[in-house]
Amino acid sequence: MNSHKIRAFPTLLKREMWESKNLFIASPAVLTVLIIVAFFWTLLQVPEDIIVETLGQLKALTDGVDITTLAPVLMPIAIPYIIVLSFCTLIYLINALYQDRKDSSILFWQSMPVSNFHTVLSKVITVCFVAPLFVVAAISVLFLMLILIVSVLGASHQVVPMGMGQLILASIYSLLLVYMTAVLASLWLLPTVGWLLLFSAFAKNLPFLWAMGAFILLLFVEDFIFGTQFLGNWLESRTTNYNYIIFDVSDFFKRLFSYDMLFGLVLGAVLIAGAVFMRRFAD
Amino acid sequence: MSVIVEAKFLSKYYGNFKALDGVDLSIQTGAITGLIGPNGAGKTTVLKALIGLVDFEGDLEVVGRDPRKARHKLMEDVCFIADVGILPRWMKVSQTLDYVEAVHPKFDRRKAEKYLASTEIPSNKKIKALSKGMITQLHLALVMAIEVKLLILDEPTLGLDIIYRKEFYDRLLNEYYDGDCTVIISTHQVEEIETLLTQLVFINKGRIVLDTQMESIPQQYVEVLVDGDKIDQARQLSPIYCRDVIGKKAFIFEGQEKENLARLGELHTPSVADLFVAKMSQNGQSIEAESHE
Repeated sequence: MNSHKIRAFPTLLKREMWESKNLFIASPAVLTVLIIVAFFWTLLQVPEDIIVETLGQLKALTDGVDITTLAPVLMPIAIPYIIVLSFCTLIYLINALYQDRKDSSILFWQSMPVSNFHTVLSKVITVCFVAPLFVVAAISVLFLMLILIVSVLGASHQVVPMGMGQLILASIYSLLLVYMTAVLASLWLLPTVGWLLLFSAFAKNLPFLWAMGAFILLLFVEDFIFGTQFLGNWLESRTTNYNYIIFDVSDFFKRLFSYDMLFGLVLGAVLIAGAVFMRRFAD
Repeated sequence: MSVIVEAKFLSKYYGNFKALDGVDLSIQTGAITGLIGPNGAGKTTVLKALIGLVDFEGDLEVVGRDPRKARHKLMEDVCFIADVGILPRWMKVSQTLDYVEAVHPKFDRRKAEKYLASTEIPSNKKIKALSKGMITQLHLALVMAIEVKLLILDEPTLGLDIIYRKEFYDRLLNEYYDGDCTVIISTHQVEEIETLLTQLVFINKGRIVLDTQMESIPQQYVEVLVDGDKIDQARQLSPIYCRDVIGKKAFIFEGQEKENLARLGELHTPSVADLFVAKMSQNGQSIEAESHE
């Protein structure tokens, strides 16, 4: 019985990946392929002497540089992945508790001994912790390919691709930073996650419009009744303040254990609890 | 025998529409109960209430629990199949097995695989690639591999052809039902399940209009084939229903002495379908004018 419970939750996460593999697995994979193709295409355009020169510069830049200094320099490569992940997560969340109500498969899910809390929790964990793993996996493939290309190029031009070991270590470290940044970002934006899940669980149709509309309505109501713009300012500070981006592992815990973060987590948890409640008699 | 479902005065409104209007229902362990009613009568609402999918007023106990609390615990003992569409279309057949195996403590994967092997369902296909009949077979395979106390079937064979329908009930009865579990079947295709049932419940406009054991129907209800010259006599005994049979009329009587009725003509036990029509017309329902569910 207990061993069953332990086996059940990872399967709920797997279930999410089965359903959304295009969003979370295929899209970063496709991005990696696109970037590699673009990289090759660029290489073909560039004259050989410039390649040799660049390899030399790369060697000079990386030579003797500490990996904790090098890793943040590699992080911007994750930017397109994070942008794609944000869109995919948005689509995922707004459909997460809506799609199965629309196609009646909710009756099947509800006929299984899985609590609504676990169902909703599996979706939150997917967004915050699982989806970034696939981004990191896709970027690691990209790093591997780029390092391979640089090594082959270097060898063929008698430029000893030095600092390679260092580059690999720095890549691994930067992947860790990217993962932590993605996790921090999703926790930082947990109120948004909760808001989307709430309307995904509630709306009879057009959940995204409901989520947007309800928020805009709240902004107006606040302005009308209190004459303040607290909500709008707060949202702006949440979304434009990129203070979840970290360049050092120790920053992770600093960011995680801050009052701002805690407030967001509590608000997110309340909204997620609302989604669980809406799910109870959802139909 | 213990009681597995006990409902007292269940009521449910959808806005102003009274979907359930004080439903009392008691089901014994081991029963095969048919919940029969026209579309929109409240069948699905009753069944959803039983598994905690709709809120309601009144008292309800299913397998000793209140379904409004801890649905996930209740569902360890209860299985539910609704009309065919409800398996998630994006899922692969093998994934449904993986999923149920992981989340359901009473699922026996080998049983399900054995059942599936006897069908033509390919395990690597997605559910959306299967026919309606196959989806129902798959759902039945999953459910038959779960040892539950209560199985709830809501129009399980709706939209299937006769071969699948027959196979569904054959397998259910021969390979699954063992007298320890209880089955509730809702349908409006009465003829199909008539022979399976031990308890018969008619529901109309949110109310129970008949609740009886199948074995007591012959004592309670009699159908008499009456010749033309005795029709007036028959009418005086206040039949609950009358229909034309070639050259004669068939009357259904409730609670009348059989000796009195035997003088009018040949006696039969009415079919469930005729009894259904009788009870519905008595209840002021025109069968033709069925509303949507």
